[in-house]
Amino acid sequence: MHELYQEISKAVLEGDETKATQLVKDALGAKLPSLDILQKGVVEGINIAGEKWQKNEYFLPDVIMAAEAFKAALRILDPQLKREKVGRLNKKLVIGVVEGDMHELGKSLVIAMTSAAGFDVIDLGVNVSIPKWVEAVKIHQPDIVGIGAYMTTTMLQMKDIIAELQKQGLRQHTKVIVGGVSTTQQFADEMGADAWGHDAIHALQIMMKLTGGKNG
Amino acid sequence: MANDTLQLIHGLLYGNGIRFGRLSGNSRFVAALLGSRADRIPFMGPQIHDHAARIAGIPLRKYYWDAELLVNTQIAIDRWYRFDTYTVVADAYNFEVEALGAKFIYSDHAMPTVDVREPLIKNRSDLDKIGPLDPTKGRIPIGVQIAKLVTQKCFGPLAAGFFCSPFSLLCQAMGYPNVIRAIRTDKVFAQELFEWAEDQAILPYLKAQRAAGVKSAFGADAWSCFPNLTPEMFDEWVIPSIKRLKEKAKKQLKMNASAGQAGLDYCEDDPAKFDKEILFRCLDVVSKTLILNSVTVAMGRTQDLDPHWLQEYALTHGKGGKKIPIVASFNGRFIRDSTPQQIIAKAREWVDVMGRDGRFSTFIGNVHADTPPVNIHTAVEAIRTLGTYPIAPDLEKVEVKIPQFKPFDEWLKGQPEEEIILKGREK
Repeated sequence: MHELYQEISKAVLEGDETKATQLVKDALGAKLPSLDILQKGVVEGINIAGEKWQKNEYFLPDVIMAAEAFKAALRILDPQLKREKVGRLNKKLVIGVVEGDMHELGKSLVIAMTSAAGFDVIDLGVNVSIPKWVEAVKIHQPDIVGIGAYMTTTMLQMKDIIAELQKQGLRQHTKVIVGGVSTTQQFADEMGADAWGHDAIHALQIMMKLTGGKNG
Repeated sequence: MANDTLQLIHGLLYGNGIRFGRLSGNSRFVAALLGSRADRIPFMGPQIHDHAARIAGIPLRKYYWDAELLVNTQIAIDRWYRFDTYTVVADAYNFEVEALGAKFIYSDHAMPTVDVREPLIKNRSDLDKIGPLDPTKGRIPIGVQIAKLVTQKCFGPLAAGFFCSPFSLLCQAMGYPNVIRAIRTDKVFAQELFEWAEDQAILPYLKAQRAAGVKSAFGADAWSCFPNLTPEMFDEWVIPSIKRLKEKAKKQLKMNASAGQAGLDYCEDDPAKFDKEILFRCLDVVSKTLILNSVTVAMGRTQDLDPHWLQEYALTHGKGGKKIPIVASFNGRFIRDSTPQQIIAKAREWVDVMGRDGRFSTFIGNVHADTPPVNIHTAVEAIRTLGTYPIAPDLEKVEVKIPQFKPFDEWLKGQPEEEIILKGREK
């Protein structure tokens, strides 16, 4: 394996954004295959960060830094991947945070993990109104909709969003997963969601399962 | 005994074995925290602001802009649930950054919420441009009024103003990842950030509260819980800032500022990852910030945490065979999602493990807006029934009845807060 892959992986794992982006540029400059740069370097780094998180060796600051480095590296790599149409699962995730809620930390971690796994992620951002959810599902026809809410007041909107998707016949091919610090499995069941993710890694595992992916 | 000093003395005497008279909720809290035990385990008022507004039917756009309404609603709700102490909480993380010009969104669904997509602090040069906080801006006058009312209406040590602690304030001002990046990669900048938060944001707010007669204030700091911060990061960054702020407030304002509330609270959410060693490290580090050493767990998944761990820590850190007090909250999600029977079972387990030898208090960590009231009433009833001293040898034999209670609106009739709450419902 080319040593650059290991260096990229290490830079992502250590959350060194500057180094990770430079190394990806170097790897592209060296004409290394973009899919290998992604999988053996960038994704490998974020995956190890995830494993360390699960083993209590990494804590949120470490994971956040790794995710930031991952995102920065992916920004450099993404145009090439898109040109070559490689490295994707051919699964779409539409993700956002409900109206009135601006907490995006958990969402950004889910985006990092799902992007790493090969999902095409459409990020609706925060403070997303019900019509915007519906519109996005109509346009993108995602395999999964990920709805985040982080306050005990705003999370109650999830029910309305899911009901509206149902009403408009948009749930036949789309699974809904919810998450956020105030939510629980029981709450997800009450809202009519297909699943609940308690953290980004768990959410990814659930999404893979829901879409019949490799971890399913 | 309505007088604060008398309640304090009564609690102290009772807790130390001179047991006479009937304890008030406040005295009970003092006896359990500072003495060996009270007459029963106290159930303190929790963080209940969103739930209180929902039960009382107050529109959030009004509630968070009206000090009288916010304070009186929470006090009424606290009394309806029969908590032993009043706790009144505003959206404590927002006031300073809002007044300093951070972009916020305001909706009918929630409290004001900072928009970290356009952070107040984007880079180092912003520190020279932003601040000091103008106490006439934003909702600072409302915050000052809330602090003043809480000081008047709540008991002794709980009668305090509020502010956002430095680390959490920085998260609000620039986003958590950016604060972490500064701490990890640019220590000089990180130091400047903390000092900016103390001097330019918090102290001017405290000064305004002091001018209104508030003598002490608590600084909310949920952003610095574990695993958002490790014990080592908390020790290196948060504790020095807490101490600096305390000194500055004392020296400049003759005020007691206790920052770091909920700091390093063990909030690991995956039971499979619970780690006694890490929990104990969190408790060790946070003890450096406490006036009274205690074991406090508040916002985490406490229902799955082994209560023997908390008891062990309390016993091994006490002196003369007396444990340090344990203050354990029922998780808000647990109270929302559980059946009354599950809540009673958890109360039974906690009283059995942590309550028998006294020095144990409980509350609920952040009550969810839509929590069924019967669940909260049941939690209170369970602790009252099971936690009355002397604790029954076999708690399984003690029956806890799911309480009957008047609906809030019926109960509210004739209460001192009735008029303000009914008026608060008007759009």
